[in-house]
Amino acid sequence: MDHHHATPQPPDAGTAAAGPLIAVHHLTKTYETASGPFVALRDVDLQVRAGEFAAVVGKSGSGKSTLINMITGIDRPSAGEVHVAGTAVHALNQEQLAIWRGRGVGVVFQFFQLLPTLTVAENVMLPMDFCNTYPVRERRARALALLAKVGIAAQADKLPSALSGGEQQRAAIARALANDPPVLVADEPTGNLDSHTSEAVLQLFAGLAAEGKTVVMVTHERDVARYITRTITLADGAIARAAATVESQGSPRRAEVDHA
Amino acid sequence: MLSPRWQKLWRDLWLTRGRTTMMVIAIAVSIFGVGAVLTTYSTLTREISRNYLGTNPASATLEMDKVDDALVAAVRGRPGIADAEARASVTARVQVGPDTWRPLVLFVVKDMGAMRVSTFRSDGGAWPPPTGTMLVERTALPMVEARLGETVVVKTPNGPQHQVLISGVVHDPALAPAWQERMGYGYITPATLAWLGEKGDLDELKIVVSEQVGDAVAVERTARELAGWLQQQGHEVHEIQIPPPLKHPHQNQMVAVLLLLLIFSLMALVLSAILVATMISGLLAVQIRQIGVMKAVGAQTRQIAGLYVVMILVISAAALALGCPAGVAAGRAFSAALAELLNITLYSQAIPWWVFGVQVVAGLLVPLLVALGPIARGSRITVREAIADFGVSQERAGGRGLDAVLGGLRGLDRSLLLALRNTFRRRGRLLLTLGLLAAGGAMFMTGLNVKAAWGKNLDDSFATRRYDLEIRLSRPEPVESLIARISSLPGVKNVEAWGYAPTALARPGVIDVVRTYPDGGHGSFSLRAGPAETTLVKFPVLAGRRLQPGDTDALVLNQLALAQLPDVTVGDTLSLSLDGRGTAWRVVGIVREIGPASAYVTTEGFDRVSGHPGSARSLRIVTAEGDLVARGQVIQAIERTLTEANVSVAMVMADSVFRTALGEHIAILIFSLVAMAVVMAVVGVLGLMSTMSTNMAERTREFGVMQTIGATPHTVIRIVVSEGVFIGVLSWIIAVPLALPLSALVGTVTGNLAFRAPLPLVVSPFAVLLWLAITIIGSAAASALPAWRASRLTVRETLAYV
Repeated sequence: MDHHHATPQPPDAGTAAAGPLIAVHHLTKTYETASGPFVALRDVDLQVRAGEFAAVVGKSGSGKSTLINMITGIDRPSAGEVHVAGTAVHALNQEQLAIWRGRGVGVVFQFFQLLPTLTVAENVMLPMDFCNTYPVRERRARALALLAKVGIAAQADKLPSALSGGEQQRAAIARALANDPPVLVADEPTGNLDSHTSEAVLQLFAGLAAEGKTVVMVTHERDVARYITRTITLADGAIARAAATVESQGSPRRAEVDHA
Repeated sequence: MLSPRWQKLWRDLWLTRGRTTMMVIAIAVSIFGVGAVLTTYSTLTREISRNYLGTNPASATLEMDKVDDALVAAVRGRPGIADAEARASVTARVQVGPDTWRPLVLFVVKDMGAMRVSTFRSDGGAWPPPTGTMLVERTALPMVEARLGETVVVKTPNGPQHQVLISGVVHDPALAPAWQERMGYGYITPATLAWLGEKGDLDELKIVVSEQVGDAVAVERTARELAGWLQQQGHEVHEIQIPPPLKHPHQNQMVAVLLLLLIFSLMALVLSAILVATMISGLLAVQIRQIGVMKAVGAQTRQIAGLYVVMILVISAAALALGCPAGVAAGRAFSAALAELLNITLYSQAIPWWVFGVQVVAGLLVPLLVALGPIARGSRITVREAIADFGVSQERAGGRGLDAVLGGLRGLDRSLLLALRNTFRRRGRLLLTLGLLAAGGAMFMTGLNVKAAWGKNLDDSFATRRYDLEIRLSRPEPVESLIARISSLPGVKNVEAWGYAPTALARPGVIDVVRTYPDGGHGSFSLRAGPAETTLVKFPVLAGRRLQPGDTDALVLNQLALAQLPDVTVGDTLSLSLDGRGTAWRVVGIVREIGPASAYVTTEGFDRVSGHPGSARSLRIVTAEGDLVARGQVIQAIERTLTEANVSVAMVMADSVFRTALGEHIAILIFSLVAMAVVMAVVGVLGLMSTMSTNMAERTREFGVMQTIGATPHTVIRIVVSEGVFIGVLSWIIAVPLALPLSALVGTVTGNLAFRAPLPLVVSPFAVLLWLAITIIGSAAASALPAWRASRLTVRETLAYV
C-alpha cells in the first residue's frame, strides 16, 4: 500500500473512518452576476462516508459543479461549512488549500487537463513534485505503478496528445491518485468519452472505492447505478433527493438519506 | 533527471521558442546597448588619461618674447609650478597642389629627447628631426598629402617657400585629428624654424601646476602669479593660454556621443523591460489553465511563481550570454572609432569588472523586476478562475462610447469592424503595446529628426554666410589695394576686407587669459571687423540687434563667445584685448553662428582701435562659379596674385572645407543616433509581434467558433492582420507628437555640448513617413504569422484548446 513520505496526513484524517469523511453543513453559494445575485447552492447539507462512490446528478445549472468545487476547495462558500477528512476546508486560505488539496483530494476533470508538455508519467509525478511526497527516486516507479493500475503503463512516456480520450482520462485518474488522497472528486469524467470508454472509467472509480477511496463524481450518465453506492440529486441549488443504490461488484455499500 | 515541473519549464520554453527568442533578443538588445556604452566609456576614460594626460599637457602656456633655459630653470623652482618647458609654434602653410595650400601648425621643440611638458612620441622615422626636416603628426599625413620620406613645400609667415623633408611621424594625443581640422601638424627644431625664415627663438613658456591641476580657476591664479613674477624680472608676458584643464579638445564631443548613447540604451532597457512584462503576461495568459491544473494538484502560489521566475532568469541568462559579448565587442569597436576621433591610441581594451556587473544587473534584475507583477498576478489566480470554462472570452471590448463610435462607422467591412473592436478588448495589454511601439517610434523619429536638425543647422548656418572663401592674412594689409587686386580677378564676384585679431577679455593691469588649445583653433576667441552693411554674413539674432552703419563702439558676440563670457548680457560694456591693449565695447547683440568664438565689430570701430586703420587681415570672397573645380581655379588665381603682391597668406578656408570639417566632427554622433533608432524600431516591432501572438493564443477558441459559423481562414487572417495594423497606426499617431519634445531635448543636449546652442527642432517628414511605413509593414508582418497559425487550426482543435 502506498504511504506518504515526509508529508503529514491531512489533520485528523485518521479519525475520518469513524464519522463522515465529507461533511457539508448549511452550504450556500451566491454569485454576483450582471443581472443580480445568482444562488448556485442553497443551504445544502451532505455527508459522505469513507469508501462511498457517490454520483452527483442534476440538470445543467443545478449546482453540481459548484458543490464539488466547494468540496475540493476550488471555490469558496458564501455561507456554511465544508469538512473533508477532518479539515475545515472553508476556513483555509489559498495557500493552505493548495497544500491540502495536493495531499488530501484527487481532482479529475472532464477535459482531462493533462499538461501538454509533460509525458503521461511526468503528469502523474507532478503532484508528488509539488507536494514533496515520496522520495525523488521513487516517484517515477510510483507513477508507473499507478499507470499500470489504470491500465496504461505502456503509454507512460508519451505526451498526452498521443493518447486517446479514454487513455488521457485514465492518466488523469492516475495523477489524482499520485499522493494517495483519501478522496477523489471527478467533474463529469466521462462527459468527453464514448460509452465503452466511459464504462471502463466508471469501473476504475468503482474499484478505487472498493479499495477504500471515497469518490464523488458529477455525472450526466444515466447508466451508472451499478457502479455507484449513492446518488445525490441536485435541483436549483438544493439536494432534491439522495438515495442508496444497489450493491454492485461485491463492494460493501452504505446508503444514507440526506434531506434538502 | 529534472523533476516534472522543471521539465515543463524547459519544454514550455522550447514550445514557445518564437516568443522565447523574441524575449531573449529584446533583453539582449538592451544589454548590448548598455554594455557597448559602458565598455566604450570605461575604455575611453582610462585611455584618454593614459594618452592625453600621459603627455603631461601644459596647464597653461605663457606667450612671451623669448624663453631661455635659465628662465625655464628659474620657473621650475617657483612655488606652485611642477614643471616648465620652452616651446614655440608658428602657423605656416603647406602646398598640396599648384597654388593650393593648407594651414600647417609647426610646433618647435628644442630637445625632443628631453621633453617634459606636452610631450609626444615617435611613430616612425627620425627622432629628433634633422635640421631642414620635420616630423608630421600621424593624422596629418593625409592633410599634407605626403608620406614619410617625401618632401613638401612649406611657407612660414615671414619666410620664403622651402622644400621640407618629412623625416618622421609622431603621435601627439593632445591634438584633435588633423583630418577633422583640415590642417597639418609639423614638429621642428628651432634651427629648422630659423632655416624656414623665422626667428629661431622659443617664445612660449609651458607650465604644469603642482596643485589643483584640474581646477581652471586655480591654474589661472598660479599662472597669473607666475606672469607677475616674470614681469617683475623684466620679462614681457603677452598672453596666458589656459585650455580646459585635463580635457582633451574633443572630450565634449565624446561626452555628447556617450551621453546620447547612454540615454538611448537606458530607454532601450526600459522598452525591453516593458516588452518582457508584455510577453510574460501573454505567456501567463496562455498558460492560465495549466496554472489552474497545477494548483488543483497541489501547487502553491510560490511554486508557480518560482517556475516563472526561473523561466525569466533562464531567458535573461540567455540574453546575457548573447548581449554581453556582443555589447563588449561593439563597445570595443566603438571605442576604436572614438579613439580615432580623439586621436588617441588604445593601449589596452581591458574592461573593468563593474561593466560586466552592470550588465548582469541590467540583464537579470530589470526583466525580473518588471516581470514580478505579472508573475504575482498570474500565480495568485485561484483554481476556479483559472480553469472555469466560459467558452469564448466574455471580456468587454471598448467602452460603450467607443462601441457606439465604431458601430456608427458606415460602410465599414464587418470583419474590419470586428478587428477594430478586438483591438480594445485587452486594454491593459493594448496600452503596454502602444506604449512600447510609440516609445520605440518616438525614439526612432528622434534619431532621424536630430540628424535632420544637424543638417538644417549647418544649412542655416551656411545660408547666413554668403561667401565661398575666407582668406586669412599673416599680417594686416591695406584694404584698398587688396580689394582692387582681388575684385579684378576673373571668377571673383564680390570681395570684402575684414579685420581680424585674436582677443581675450581684458582686465586693467592684468595679462590676457585665453582658453585656446595649443593647436590655436580649439577654444580660440577672435575679434572680427567688417562693413556694417555687409551682405556676406547675416547671422540670426538671439538677443539685441545686428551692427549698424555708424556703430563705432558696438559689439556683437556669437553664442560661443558668450559661453566664454557667461556673465555678459546685451547692454554691458566689455573690454577686449587687442595686441595687449584693452579696448572698450558696448555689447549690442548676440548672434547664432556655427564656428569659433567670435566678437563682431564694424570696420570703423576696428579702425578706431587697431592701430592700423585702412588695413585688413581677412578677405571674404564670393566666387562667380559654383562648382569646386572652378572655385579651386579662383583660389589659385588669388594665391598667385597675393604672392606677386608679397602678401603673406596664413590660411585659405573654403566654405566647403569648413563644412566638411564640421561634418567630420559630428559624423560619429549621427551614426550613433541612427543606429540607436534602428534598435528602437526592432524592439518596438518585437513588442507588437508578442502582443499579437498572445492575443491569438487567447482567442483560439473564438476563431474556432467563427469558423463554425462560416468564417474562412482568409477572414481570420484579415481580421488579425487588420487588428495588428490598426495597433501599429494607433501607435504611430501617438509616437509623432511624442517625438517632438524628445527631439527638442536631444537636440538641445547635443547642440549645447557641441556648439553651445540648441539645435533647431526639425520634424523630418522622411522620418515620420518611414516610421509609418515600418509600423504598417512591421505590424502586418508581426500579426501575419499568428494569424496564419490561427487560421490553420481546425474547429476541433480550437474548441479543445487548453
